[in-house]
Amino acid sequence: MKRAVVIVVVGLLAAVASYCALYYCGTKQHREMMESPAPELAWLRKAFRLSDVEFERIRKLHEGYLPRCAELCQRIAQKNSELQHIVSGPNVEANAVEQKLKEAGELRVECQKNMFNHFLEVSRQMPPEQGRRYLQWVQQRTLTPEHDMVRRHRSDHAMEHH
Amino acid sequence: MKMKNNDTELKSLLQEWRVTSPLPPRFGEQVWKRIERAEVPSISLIDAVRAWFAMAFARPAFAVAYVSALLVMGLTLGFVQASNKATSLERQLEARYVQSIDPYQRGQ
Repeated sequence: MKRAVVIVVVGLLAAVASYCALYYCGTKQHREMMESPAPELAWLRKAFRLSDVEFERIRKLHEGYLPRCAELCQRIAQKNSELQHIVSGPNVEANAVEQKLKEAGELRVECQKNMFNHFLEVSRQMPPEQGRRYLQWVQQRTLTPEHDMVRRHRSDHAMEHH
Repeated sequence: MKMKNNDTELKSLLQEWRVTSPLPPRFGEQVWKRIERAEVPSISLIDAVRAWFAMAFARPAFAVAYVSALLVMGLTLGFVQASNKATSLERQLEARYVQSIDPYQRGQ
């Protein structure tokens, strides 16, 4: 009987140990990326198989792009706020609204141009094949009107359900 | 003395006694079954399981099969869970990158 109990315990320990070992090994790479200082860049490095040199150049580009992007976002928010102020006033001037809409639109275009230039620069730092793949992938998720339409449709749909 | 006389009388009476009523059908078989049941010691379910357990794990082939089955089960479950977790983390990281470069997606 004692021998049987020992075998049962050994079996259970083997099952638990094998589960933990495989789970640990299977998620190690992703856990390390999540714990890195810039998880999104660590993911980019893995997804597009970047070398150390390529990654370092892209990291610098990314860090340089963020302040410019934030500045444009701030200016767009400012224009939206000004537009809101005009629209909520007692006498709404169509010309003033049109002007603000035009300015906000120009800033959005500038923001998208800035994004696209960044994508191009990043793709140029990658090996040619990976660069093409990156451009295709990033445009599908950011700049294409289809993506925006689908996103808006989803959020509208979600609001209807709520 | 009197007791000895009574005993003799009883003996003679018993010898004179004749059973006239018929026996029930399959009487002999029923009697043997009752004897068998009385002879077999009754064991509880737990005892039976313990006995089976000890007997089964005494066979090396069974013990090896048991440990191997649990090992494979652990590996399979670990692989499936790790794959699901890795896919989920991959999506999270991808979304984080897109949000970091696209200001229109930061609020989501």
